[in-house]
Amino acid sequence: MASVELNDIRKSYGTLEVIHGVSLSIDDGEFIALVGPSGCGKSTLLRMIAGLEEITNGEVMIAGRIVNPLTPRERNIAMVFQSYALYPHMSVAGNMGFNLKLSGVPKPEIEKRVSEAARMLALTDLLDRKPSQLSGGQRQRVAMGRAIVRDPAVFLFDEPLSNLDAKLRVQMRTEIKSLHQKVGTTSIYVTHDQIEAMTLADRIVVLHQGNIEQVGTPLELYRQPANLFVAGFIGSPAMNILDGVVDAENGEPAVRLGDGSAVRIAPQRNVRRGQSVKIGLRPEHFVSVGSGSIISGRTLLVEPTGAQTHVLFEFAGSQITAIVDGDHPARYGAYFESVADGEKVYVFDGASGVAL
Amino acid sequence: MTDTSISGTSVRMNAGTRIYLYVSLSLVAALVLVPLLATALGGFKSLGELRVNPFGLPAQWHWSNYLDILFGDRYWRQMINSLFIAIMTVFLTVVASAMAAFTLAHVKFFGAGQLLNYFLIGLMFPAATAILPLFIRIRDLGLLDTYWGVILPQVAFGLGMSILLFRNYFRNLPDELFQAAFVDGCGYIRFFWHISLPLSRPIIATVGIISFVNSWNSYILPLIMLNTETKYPWPLGIMVYRGEFGTQWQLVLAFITLTILPTVIVFFLAQKHIIAGLTAGAVKG
Repeated sequence: MASVELNDIRKSYGTLEVIHGVSLSIDDGEFIALVGPSGCGKSTLLRMIAGLEEITNGEVMIAGRIVNPLTPRERNIAMVFQSYALYPHMSVAGNMGFNLKLSGVPKPEIEKRVSEAARMLALTDLLDRKPSQLSGGQRQRVAMGRAIVRDPAVFLFDEPLSNLDAKLRVQMRTEIKSLHQKVGTTSIYVTHDQIEAMTLADRIVVLHQGNIEQVGTPLELYRQPANLFVAGFIGSPAMNILDGVVDAENGEPAVRLGDGSAVRIAPQRNVRRGQSVKIGLRPEHFVSVGSGSIISGRTLLVEPTGAQTHVLFEFAGSQITAIVDGDHPARYGAYFESVADGEKVYVFDGASGVAL
Repeated sequence: MTDTSISGTSVRMNAGTRIYLYVSLSLVAALVLVPLLATALGGFKSLGELRVNPFGLPAQWHWSNYLDILFGDRYWRQMINSLFIAIMTVFLTVVASAMAAFTLAHVKFFGAGQLLNYFLIGLMFPAATAILPLFIRIRDLGLLDTYWGVILPQVAFGLGMSILLFRNYFRNLPDELFQAAFVDGCGYIRFFWHISLPLSRPIIATVGIISFVNSWNSYILPLIMLNTETKYPWPLGIMVYRGEFGTQWQLVLAFITLTILPTVIVFFLAQKHIIAGLTAGAVKG
């Protein structure tokens, strides 16, 4: 176990810089998720920490030691790959013990550690099988077992669940979480799935075009997104964003939208009259009764998911998604009405996208 | 999922197509099999019968044609010569081309592309065109009339094709496998031994068979390089044998049958691997 420190990490391919000076410090035993859309550099960053990708500039420190020139093995990291990358010609036990075998660990010791890890991951009955005889979830567990047996300083996960079907993904998610609670090894987890990041991580790092947009606990990111990008990325369905200009209505601050309707915002927002802004409305913050601005329009689409129903309706020339109770009698073409509490309306600067 | 995994057999055909297929395939098979069978059966006949009944079953089975050859030492000596040359050729071709291909597939270095092209240019030259310089070089090396004088040029001419096959196969091994091994502590050499080679059985079989068959059937190189009859592989041996027994066709046919036999047996044993190797990477598996 160890802390990980990134100091102004940069990566260029030729003249094209893809990671622009990322600094981050990860505590011992912490579970960090790197999220972002495809191409944001999250995998590249992980691979630089792993030692699979050369670092153009900056320092990676693991346990207080600069590891830039070291190989992955010398860095004492273990990595779980998206495709599992199990060795097809070796049994499960062979896969898990391969690293120990290469380090010259004596056989009885290898067997002991492999069977220990296998017990932890419920793989004991499968030790003699080949990877091709395993299901996706089992392969994933073997890949994790291969990482555990060596007792590394840091676990690195590169989108480990994206090859699994939806149900298995949720199940493996809980397994990864409970594994981390058991072993307590510092973990860095790359994913493009914000739900995975929210549920697993102690802290989330949102990356966009090679820059860190925000670092924080899942709830911080959800409640206080630093900017428009984080606001749109965290939360599902995504936040509704509308353009408007700051104005006053009945002496209260509000944002006037393109069609003239006004949405009340919290008085403590740092805005001035006439400023062009974007407001963000989370789909789950619409209520049918309460105080606030009335948001309403014609229903365009109804998606029942059981407990809740997603309603897409037209408002101020935009399409707005709202989440309502499953019992709500929403219907295509009908008039949909809801209330948005001014305290829960996010306001972002129109030009820079920074939260106000 | 069964309906999406169509292997050729589950395709539906109507009766006409089916008959057409059977007839045309039988014709092609006959083109190959009739001469082979005529040769094998001819070896059991007497010379007179061979003249009047070249294709049918022998009226009387003359086992002595075959037995004489099998109990003489000429046949075995040629087999052993051929086998030694072929096995050494296969061994050296596989070892050299696998290592070269691995380097070209995984290690990025200056001139890698040019080096590969240089090897591939070798594909364009049949051994026959290079015979004179080759002879002079082998003579200068003092390898004339030795097995090595045949083996080394055969390996050299086989490298281009073998490197190409190996390289494509190695490149199709998933990148993440290499990275996982790297994280586990493998360098290039350990990765080659512990991961690449065990996974490459089909392509090793393919390259092995191709170079074995090429070496087994090679005629012109041994003809030029070897002078002593005791070192002759079977294609040269047959030539000598035919010179001696030119009028006794039944003996020549029996001799030919016996010399073909090993290749046929090897081919049937390795058939599965060859097809797996040639189509490897052609479709996403």
